[in-house]
Amino acid sequence: MKNTILIFSFLCSLSLSAQTISGIVTDAKNNPIVQANVYLEGTYDGGTTNAKGAFSFKTEETGTQNLLVSFVGFETYTMLGDISYMKDLKIQLREDVNSLDTVVLSAGTFSAGDNSKVNALKPLDVVTTASALGDFVGALQTLPGTTTVAEDGRLFVRGGEAEETQIFIDGIKVFTPYSPTTNNTPTRGRYSPFLFDGITFSTGGYSAEYGQALSSVLLLNTTGEPDQEKTNIGIMTLGASLGNTQKWKNNSLSVNASYINLAPYNAVFKSRNDWKKPAEVASGEAVFRQKTNNGMLKLYTAFEATNFELTQEDIHASEGVHFKLKNSNLYFNGSYKGMLSDSWTLETGMSYTLANDKINIDAAGIKDTENSFHAKVKLKHRFNNRFKLNFGAEYLATDFNENYQDTFTPKVAYGFNNNISAAFTEADIFFSRKLALKAGLRLEHSALFDEVTLSPRVSMAYKTSNKSQVSLAYGDFYQNPNSSILKFEQDLQAQQTSHYILNYQYNGKKQLFRAEAYYKDYDQLVKYDSDFASFDSNYNNKGYGFAKGIDLFWRDSNSIKNVDYWVSYSFLDSERNYQNYSKSAQPNFANTHNLSVVGKYWIDKWKSQVGMSYALASGRTYTNPNTTGFLDQKTKAYNSLSLNWAYLISPQKILYLSVNNALGFKNVNGYQFANTPDSNGNFASRSLRPATDQFFFVGFFWTISEKGTDNQLDNL
Amino acid sequence: MKHLILIVTLLITSIVATAQTKYEQGMHKALDLWKTNPIEASQLFERIAKAEPDNWLPPYYAAETLILDGFSKMQDADALKAQLDQAQNFLNDATAISKDNPEIMVMQAILYTVYVASDGATYGMTLSGKVMSLYAQAEKLAPNNPRVVLNKADWNIGGARYFGTDIKPFCKEVERALELFATFKPETEFHPNWGRERAQEIITSCK
Repeated sequence: MKNTILIFSFLCSLSLSAQTISGIVTDAKNNPIVQANVYLEGTYDGGTTNAKGAFSFKTEETGTQNLLVSFVGFETYTMLGDISYMKDLKIQLREDVNSLDTVVLSAGTFSAGDNSKVNALKPLDVVTTASALGDFVGALQTLPGTTTVAEDGRLFVRGGEAEETQIFIDGIKVFTPYSPTTNNTPTRGRYSPFLFDGITFSTGGYSAEYGQALSSVLLLNTTGEPDQEKTNIGIMTLGASLGNTQKWKNNSLSVNASYINLAPYNAVFKSRNDWKKPAEVASGEAVFRQKTNNGMLKLYTAFEATNFELTQEDIHASEGVHFKLKNSNLYFNGSYKGMLSDSWTLETGMSYTLANDKINIDAAGIKDTENSFHAKVKLKHRFNNRFKLNFGAEYLATDFNENYQDTFTPKVAYGFNNNISAAFTEADIFFSRKLALKAGLRLEHSALFDEVTLSPRVSMAYKTSNKSQVSLAYGDFYQNPNSSILKFEQDLQAQQTSHYILNYQYNGKKQLFRAEAYYKDYDQLVKYDSDFASFDSNYNNKGYGFAKGIDLFWRDSNSIKNVDYWVSYSFLDSERNYQNYSKSAQPNFANTHNLSVVGKYWIDKWKSQVGMSYALASGRTYTNPNTTGFLDQKTKAYNSLSLNWAYLISPQKILYLSVNNALGFKNVNGYQFANTPDSNGNFASRSLRPATDQFFFVGFFWTISEKGTDNQLDNL
Repeated sequence: MKHLILIVTLLITSIVATAQTKYEQGMHKALDLWKTNPIEASQLFERIAKAEPDNWLPPYYAAETLILDGFSKMQDADALKAQLDQAQNFLNDATAISKDNPEIMVMQAILYTVYVASDGATYGMTLSGKVMSLYAQAEKLAPNNPRVVLNKADWNIGGARYFGTDIKPFCKEVERALELFATFKPETEFHPNWGRERAQEIITSCK
C-alpha cells in the first residue's frame, strides 16, 4: 500500500503540480513592453505582459522548455532552459529593423505605389493629376527637382539635360522611352501608366545598381498578378483604346492596343502648325506573367508606330520648313525575380530595342536605326535583418546607324557601337531602427572609349524623432555622351558628375514634408566648336558645370475633408560651359524657380473628382544677337492652370474631361533669331510658342469584367 | 496490486482525457477572453496555433480577433497596418494548413475591407478587385455557405448604396443567407458559425 501511495503521489505531481513562470519584458532602454506575448513553445501556456511589462503564468510542463517572447516591432526572444529557473526573468527585446517605423534610406527618392514606406505619390495620382493627361512623366513633373521645359515634355532634373535621366522597367533599361513629336509639342512616355503599380523617381544619389545616368533614374515596376479577367474600352477625342486581360491558374496575359489621330482635333481647334498629315500613333502592348514555385517571370513587349508631316515656322525660311517623320519602335523586356533560398534572391532580365526613324527636313533625308540590348543579373543575400548585400553585373550594347542625303550631299553613312559592361555591389546596414547606411561601388568598362570608371555611392539616414529623419547621400556618376554626339565623334570620354545631398523628411498623419538641399558638380562634359554638333566639328571633354539648389515638397490629405493637395517648389542655380558655349552660363532648360500646386477634391454626392494643377516657372535664358551677352536674356515667366473632372457614371463607366492651360496664358518658350542682320543691322526674331496654347480632352472609359467591380479610374 | 493497476489506469485515462480536452479548454478560454480583450485572445489563439500545427482554426481566430479589432483602429494608419500585417500572417498560416477554404477566403476579404474602409484613396482601387475575386472564388467552392452569401451581399450593398443603384437583389441574397444560417451545422463547436446577427441587422436596414 505504501508503494501505491508513493506511485500515486508521484503521478499526481507529474500531472498536477504547476509552476509559475514570471518576469518582466522591456526594450533596450528598460521601458516596459505592454501586451507582449510570452509563452512556452508548443504548449498553450503563456501570458500577456501588463502595463508594467510584467507577466506571470502557470504551467504544468516540466524540464527543459523553450520560452518565447514576441511583440510587433521587436525580434522574437527565445530562451531555452529548465522551467524551474524561469522566475523573475528580466527580458530585453531587440528592436526589429524590419518594422514600419524604421528609418528609410530616402535621400533623393520619391516613390509611388504600395511597395514603399513613404509615398509622395499614390498609384492613382499619375492618372488623376490635371496637367498629366495620363502620362506618368507628366505627373512626375509636379514634383520638386524637375524644371519646366514645356515644349519638350521629358524630365529635366536639377540642372541636367533630359538625356541624363534614365528609365528602367523592372530593373531593365528602356533605351527610347519617349514618343517623337514636333518641336513645339511636348512628348509623352510611350508606356501606359496602368501597367505599372510602383514608380520610384530618384532625383539624385541613387543606388550603384544604376549607371549611365548623370542626373536621375525613374524605376517602373509592372503589376504582378491581375485580380480578374476584364476588357477595357476607351473612346477619346483623340482616338480609341482596347484592352483585355486573361487569367489562368499560374499565368496571365494582358494586351492593350490604342490608336491616336490628331486630325479631327486639329480640324476643330487651331494649331500653330501647318499640318500636312497630323500626328497618327498606333501602339500595342502585351504583358505575360508566369508564376513559378518561388518567383515570377514577366515578359513585356511594346510596339509603336508614329508618323506626321507638317510645315514648321522658321525664321530662316519665310515659307517655313517642311518636316516629315516616320518612327517605329519595338521594345521587349523579360525579367525574372525569385527566391533561391530563404536568404538568397535572384533578379535577372534583358531588354531589346529596335528603333527606326525616317525624317525629311526640306530636301534632306535622314534615316537612322538603333539596336540596343541590356542584360542584367543581380543577387541579394540577406545575412540577417540588419545586414543585406546586393551584387550583380550587366551588359549594355547599342548599335546606332544613320544615313544622310540632300541635294548637294550624296548619301553618307555613319554610326557607332556603344558597349558597356558593369559590375556593382552594395550593402544595406541597419545599425538600429534609427540609423542606417547604404554603401555601394560600381565599376564600368566602356568598350568604345576603352575606359574604366569607378563610382562610389553612399547614403545614410538617421531618425530624429518618430516622424522625422535626416539623410545624407553622396555619389559619383558617369554617362557616355548621347547619340547626337557619338554618331559624329567616338574619341571621347564619359561625362561625369558628383552629387551631394542633404535631406529632411517629416512624415505626419497623411502629411508629408520634404526639404532637400543639393550640390552637383559636372565634369568632362562634351564641347564642340560649331553651331551644331556635326561631322566637321572638333570635340573634346573639357566642359564643366554645376547645379545647386533646394527642393521643397508638402503633401496633405488630412487637413481639409475630401481634399488632397501637394505643393512643390524648387530653387535651382546652375551654370555650365559645354557644347558650343562661349562661356559658363545658365542653360535654357534650367529655370531658377519652379512652383507646382496640385489639388484634388472628391465630391461624394456627384461621384466626381475635380482636380486642378498650377505650374509657375521663372523665365528661361536665351541669347539675343542684338546685344553682346551670351544666354543673358530671360523669357517671361511660364504659367499654366489645368483643370479636370472625372465622373463615375457607374462603377464601370467613367467620363473624363480636362483642359490644360484653362486661363489661356500666352507662354513663350524661347526665341529664334535670324543668322544675319537686316538692313537696319537688326537680327529679326520669332518667339517659340506651343503648338496650341490650350488643350482639351474628353474621354469615356468602360470596363467589362465578369465580376463587375473594376473600373478604369486608374486608366485615365 | 489490483488497486494499483486500477488507479494507474484511471490516472492515465484521465491524463489522456485532459489532453484531449486541453484544446477545447484552450479554445473556450480564448473565445471568452475575446469578449474582454481581443489582443490577449489573439495571443492565446496564436499559442494554440503553434501547438496545433495541423489545425487551421486557431490561426483563423488569431487573425479574426485582430481584423475585427482593426475596425476600432482606423484612425491610426501605422498601428492598423502593423496589426493587419500580423493578421495576414495568421491567415497565411491558416491557408497553408487548409487550402481552398471558403471560410478563410471570406476572412481574407474582410481584412482587405478594413484597409479599404480606412483609406479608400490608397487601397480602394487595388483591393476592391481582390475582394470581389475572393468572394467569387469562395462562392464557387461553397455556394450555400451562409457567410459567403452574406458577406458578398454586404460588400455589394456598400457599392450599390454608393452608386445609388438598386440594393434589392443583394437584400434578397441576405435573406437567403439567413435561411442558410437556419440549417447551417458547423463541423465542430469551434468551426466558424458567426454572421446571423449581422444578416438580421442588414435586413432591417434594407427595409
